[in-house]
Amino acid sequence: MPVITLPYTDLEDLTSSESSEIISRIPMIGADVERIENDYIDIEFFPDRPDLYSVEGVSRAMRGFLGIEKGFCQYNVKESNFKLLVDKGLLKIRPNIVCAVVKGINFDSNSIKTIMDLQEDLHWGLGRNRKKVSIGVHDLNHVQSPFRYLPMDKSFKFIPLDFSNELSLEQILVKHPKGKAFAHILDKFDKYPIILDKQDKVLSFPPIINGNLTRVTEDTTDLFIDVTGLDDTVNIALNIVVTALAERGGTIESVSIEDLDGNVEVTPNLKPVTWEIKKKDIEDLLGIPLRDRDIVENLEKMRYGVRKIDPETFEVDIPAYRADILHSYDIIEDIAICYGFDQIIPQFPESSTVGSGHSSSIKEDKFRELMIGLGYFQVMPFTLTNEKVHFEMMCREKTPGVTYLLHPISEEQTMLRTNLLPNLLEILSLNQHRELPQRIFEVGEIVENEINKHHLAAVSIHPFANFTEIQELIDVIMREQGLEYNLVESNDSAFLEGRRANIVVGEKVVGVMGEFYPKVITSFGLGQPVVGFEMQI
Amino acid sequence: MNLNYNLTTHEKKVLLSFNDKHKLTPTELAEKTNLKVEAAIHASFLLEEKGYLSVVDNITKQYYLTKEGENYAENGLPERRIIDSIDEPVSMEELKNKYSPQLVGIATGWLLKKGWAKINDGKVIPQSKAEKGYDEFLLEKLKSQSIDYKEAESNKEVLKDLIKRKLVYEEEDKSRIVQITDSGLALLEEGIDLEEEITQITADLLKSGEWKNKKIRPYDIKKPAKKTFAAKIHPYQRLLNQMRSIFLEMGFTEIKGDVIQSSFWNFDTLFQPQDHPAREMQDTFHLSSRSELPDKYKRHVAAMHEHGGDSESTGWGGTWSEEIASRNVLRTHTTAITIKYLADNPDPPVKAFCIDRAYRRETIDPTHTPEFEQLEGVVMDKNMSFANLLGCLSEFYHRMGFENVRFRPGYFPYTEPSVEPEVYIEGMGWVELGGAGIFRKEVTEPLGIKEPVLAWGLGVSRVAMLKLGLKDLRELYRSDISWLRDSEIFKF
Repeated sequence: MPVITLPYTDLEDLTSSESSEIISRIPMIGADVERIENDYIDIEFFPDRPDLYSVEGVSRAMRGFLGIEKGFCQYNVKESNFKLLVDKGLLKIRPNIVCAVVKGINFDSNSIKTIMDLQEDLHWGLGRNRKKVSIGVHDLNHVQSPFRYLPMDKSFKFIPLDFSNELSLEQILVKHPKGKAFAHILDKFDKYPIILDKQDKVLSFPPIINGNLTRVTEDTTDLFIDVTGLDDTVNIALNIVVTALAERGGTIESVSIEDLDGNVEVTPNLKPVTWEIKKKDIEDLLGIPLRDRDIVENLEKMRYGVRKIDPETFEVDIPAYRADILHSYDIIEDIAICYGFDQIIPQFPESSTVGSGHSSSIKEDKFRELMIGLGYFQVMPFTLTNEKVHFEMMCREKTPGVTYLLHPISEEQTMLRTNLLPNLLEILSLNQHRELPQRIFEVGEIVENEINKHHLAAVSIHPFANFTEIQELIDVIMREQGLEYNLVESNDSAFLEGRRANIVVGEKVVGVMGEFYPKVITSFGLGQPVVGFEMQI
Repeated sequence: MNLNYNLTTHEKKVLLSFNDKHKLTPTELAEKTNLKVEAAIHASFLLEEKGYLSVVDNITKQYYLTKEGENYAENGLPERRIIDSIDEPVSMEELKNKYSPQLVGIATGWLLKKGWAKINDGKVIPQSKAEKGYDEFLLEKLKSQSIDYKEAESNKEVLKDLIKRKLVYEEEDKSRIVQITDSGLALLEEGIDLEEEITQITADLLKSGEWKNKKIRPYDIKKPAKKTFAAKIHPYQRLLNQMRSIFLEMGFTEIKGDVIQSSFWNFDTLFQPQDHPAREMQDTFHLSSRSELPDKYKRHVAAMHEHGGDSESTGWGGTWSEEIASRNVLRTHTTAITIKYLADNPDPPVKAFCIDRAYRRETIDPTHTPEFEQLEGVVMDKNMSFANLLGCLSEFYHRMGFENVRFRPGYFPYTEPSVEPEVYIEGMGWVELGGAGIFRKEVTEPLGIKEPVLAWGLGVSRVAMLKLGLKDLRELYRSDISWLRDSEIFKF
C-alpha cells in the first residue's frame, strides 16, 4: 500500500489546523501511521482511497473530518479552447484518454515532488502499475493546441525525458529505464500510442515516458495533463490530480476530446454522481439509531453533498475524486467512520445456535492425546517442501499426485508434501545437538492429487531404537483405534530391508513402519538409529 | 534433632570403626566394617561430604632394584669385583679375559671416578683402599625391601647415580588414609544406632508387614531432582485449541476445506477484481491445474463483477474471465472456505468458524512465512448490524485474554464497513490484530445469501508471537526440541 509523506507545513497550511491534532485524528479516518518525524509524517492509506494519496487530498478530507469546512467541495472548471483529437487506431491499443489544463501554479522543488509522487502512487493504486491508467503531466507553455492522440510506427523518434538524444519508440522500450520497466504493457502491439501537439512536437509516449520538451520545472506555471488507459478509471485519476492542484491554488480549464466521427467529450468532468440512501438502510447496517441531522452532519464532514428529499430518503452527491463508492454501503461506512467506531456500543448477536467441532479436528485431538500418552512431542512443520527432502534424501522414487507450485519463491519450497515423515526427519536433523532420546509426531494434512488427506507419523531416535520399539507403538495405536491389522513385508526403500513392514487393515495398506535405511539417516545428517511410521487416519 | 538422621547403614558402620583409632587405611576399614573396600571408601566419601571424616591421599615415591641392580647387589658392583681382585697393576687385556670386556668397560669408568684406581699404559693401577660406598650400602638394602624417598634423601646424589646407571627405578605409590574429624568424634561420642535401614519398600515388606519394624531411610529432600520432561502438545496447538474452544463455547460450527482452491472461490466470489495485484503470481501460489466452476453461481458472479448484476452496485466494469477464475491456487485465506460454506448453507442463522493454514508467496523472514494459520469466524442472520460485529469482536478478544480492545476503520476488498480491531498490550501499545467487516452485497448477492454476514479473521501466528513471546515465527514450524521440552503447559 502506498505510503504518503505529509510535510507538517503543507498539512497545516492546507488544513488550517495544528499538525498535532491532525496526527492524533488521522488514524480514525482510515490510515496507518508509519512514522512520525520532526517535520513530516508518513501515512499508509488504504488502496480504495487514492484521493488521499497527496497532502492536498488528505487536507481536504481532514478539514471536513475536523469540522473546519464541511460539505461538497466545489471546483470550477473554466471552459477553454484546448482540444485533443483521438485517432480510432488506438481503440485496440489504449482506447481511453482524458485531459485537463491547470493554470497559475507556483511550483517549487517540493511541490513538484509532491505531484510526481501522487502520479506514481496513482499508477500503482488505480493504474495497476500503468497498465490500466497512466498519467502524463506537462509544461503547457512549450506546446500548442490542438493535440493529437494517435498510433505511431515503432521507428518514430523523439527525445524522451532524461535523455539528450532522439530514440525511436522501439529503442526506448529497450534502452530507457522506464521503457524496460513497462515494455510488457505494449508487448502485443505493432504500433504505439503517442500524443503530439499542433506542430508534431511530442508530449508523451503513454504509458511509458513523456517527452523531454514538456518537462515540469520550477518555472512551470501552467500544466497540460493527460491520462490514458483501458477504461473509465482514467476519469477518477484525472479528477484526483486536478482537484489536488486546485487545492494548491491552480485554475482548472477543460479540454475537448474529439474523435473523427464528431464525438466530443469535455474533461475533466467534476460533476458529482448522486445516490439515494434510505435512513432505514443506514440504521439497519450500523445497528444504531441516528437523528436526521446526525446523518447530514456526518456525511458533510466526509465531504459529501447531502439533501433530504423525503422523510426516509437522503440524496447524496459523491465527489468526482472518490474511486471507492460502488454501493450505498460504501457511503454508510463513511457515516460510521465519522460518527466514530468507538461511539457504537458493541452488541453480541442473539442468534441461537449450537456449536460443534469438525469430525477431523476431533479425530486429530484423539491422536494427539494418544501420542502424548506414549511420550511423543507434537511438532507442526511447514507443508511446503521440495523434491530433494521429500524423495532424494528419503531414498524414495518420485510419486505421482504431487502438487507443484508454478512460481516457487525458493528452492526450499517447491511442492506440497504428500508425506509427513520427511518433515519429521528434518526436525530431528535440526535438533542433533539436543539430548536423546527424541520422540516426535505430527498429525496433519498432506495433499495428494489436489485433495487433503489426514496422516499420522512419528519418529524416534536414540542408540537403541529398533523395530521392536516401533512395532509396539503401532500395536498400541491400532488397538486404541479398535482396528485389526496385519504387518506384511514392505518394499519402501526409506526403510531397512527385513526391518520394515506395511500396516494392513483388511485388504488396504494404511501405513508403513520400520527402521530407517542408514543412508536416509545419514542424508539427514543424523548419527543414531531412527525408527518411525506413517499412516492414514 | 538426631544427628544420625542422614546416615546410611554403611556410613554408620564406617564411623563406628574409628572407636579406637583415628586413622585407618582402606583395607583396615574394610576389615573392621566387613564391607568391600570400594563400599567402605564410598561411604567414607559421603561422610567426608558431611564433615565427619577426611580422606587423605598420600603420594610417595618408592625405589626398587632393576634386573641389573639385583645382579650387582648379589655379586658386587663391577668396579668392586675388580678392585677386590687385584693388589698390583694388571693389564686390561688380562682383566677382560678374566671377566668380560663389557664388565671391564663399565668398571674402569667408575674405578677412576671413585678414585680407586688409575689407568696407565693399558694397566689398571690400584690406589687407596677402596672403602665401601653408600651406593653399595643402598644396593644391599634394596635387596630385601624397597626404600622410600625420605630414607634416600640423605644421599640424593647417590640415588640419582644408581638410577642413571639403571640399577634402581622409581615408582609412585598412592596411599590413602581415612581420618576421623572432630565432629565425627563428637558423633561417635553421642552414640550411633546401627539398626538396619530400608532404602526401598518392597512387595515382600508390605505383604509381611515387616515394614512396621524397620527403619525407612529418609531422603535428602534438599537434593535437586534430575530434570525430566513431559511429552505434550505443541504450545502453538494449545493456542489453536484455545481459540477453537472459544468459538465452540460461543455456539459456532467448525468448518474445514481443501488447501487447493479455484481462484473463483478464493477471489472472484469475494469480489476481488480479476486484475487485482494480490491475485498475481508475486503474491499468490498458482498451480497449473484448473477447476470446473459451479454453474449455479458462475453467471451471477460474472454479472456482479461486470456491472453489479441485479444489485444497485456498479461492479468493476470490464469483462469477467472464466478462464482466470478457473485457475487453481493455494488458498490465500480461509475465507475461501467460509464463503463456500455460506453459499452451501444460505439459511439463517449460521455461525461458523475455520482455523486452518493459508499460503502467501512471502519470502521467509522472522515475521513472515509462506504458510501460516488463519482464524475466521462468520455470523449470518437476519438483522445483523455493524454493532453486532463489534459485539462479536469484543467478546472474542476478551475471551482471548485481551482486556482492552478498540476499533479503527479498515479496508478489505470484500467487506463494507470494514474494521481493524486493535488490542492494548503492555509495553507495546495498541497492536493491530486481524480484520473484520460485513460482507459486501457484491459478495453475498450472487451466491444467494440474503442476510448480512459478519466476518472477522486474524493471523494466528501473530497472536502466537505475542502470547508465546516469540521473536521469530519460524520457531513455530521448525521446532527446537529443547524449546518444546521447556515450554510450560500452564503458560497461558
